[in-house]
Amino acid sequence: MQETIIDTIDKAAMALGAGLMFLGIVVLGIVEILAGPPYGAAPMTNDAGDIIATPMFDPALRTGLVIAGLVVLLVWQGYRMAATPDQEQTDQQVEMAAD
Amino acid sequence: MATKAANPLGEEFAFDIGGPIAKYWVAVLRVITGWWFFHAGVTKLIEDGLAYGYGPMYMEGMTGTALGPLPVWMGQNLAWLIKPGVPLFETLIGLGIMFGVLTRLAAFGGAFFMTLFWVGNADFAHGVVSGDLMGLLLFVTLAALAAGRYYGLDAVIEQMAFVKRHPKLRYLLG
Repeated sequence: MQETIIDTIDKAAMALGAGLMFLGIVVLGIVEILAGPPYGAAPMTNDAGDIIATPMFDPALRTGLVIAGLVVLLVWQGYRMAATPDQEQTDQQVEMAAD
Repeated sequence: MATKAANPLGEEFAFDIGGPIAKYWVAVLRVITGWWFFHAGVTKLIEDGLAYGYGPMYMEGMTGTALGPLPVWMGQNLAWLIKPGVPLFETLIGLGIMFGVLTRLAAFGGAFFMTLFWVGNADFAHGVVSGDLMGLLLFVTLAALAAGRYYGLDAVIEQMAFVKRHPKLRYLLG
């Protein structure tokens, strides 16, 4: 099992996965607040149940970005699993002469 | 005169990854999360057996979500799997997480369920971060931390010769 994060693909997947999740939750959340009510991700209704204001971003877009981030992380782990040699680990410490 | 800088966080209360407090808390988190799903699944089994009819109905109502037409299609065409699958898989996922057996595979299953709950229960009046998203993130966290290795049976299973011969399995265990 690969225990270390060394690959460029590893770094890119981690950045993309977290980036998509942060974009959907935090970045668009900040924009939503700055855009005014409703501050949540659901339409605002009056007492009669009529919609009086809608969020700037469709919640499907924001949840979709988060799910896309999770899928990136899942695919990345699948890649790491596939890249793991399917053979017994034979780690050996080899003594090297000091220079 | 010798002086010693005082660091109240640097002694026995430090949360060292791999340290005793981290292992202890990851195990606590795992057992409670597992019980959450086990309880949800086993009570459905007791009440409805392997015919949980609300599952397909719930998915058919998931229109306009980020998952597109997939849940609706599943509700309409995979009812034969969803009716027994929801109580059965919830129970198995809960058991796996609680005892730390195939923890990462079980956590993936839990995250899959929670994704459907998160977008399906969609209220979002208080933003997209809801209790369902927190549940989803809990499962991802357990998988990322290989929570089954801490006081879980995966710690024993991973020492077996079969697993050592097939290290890929550690992506499903752990």
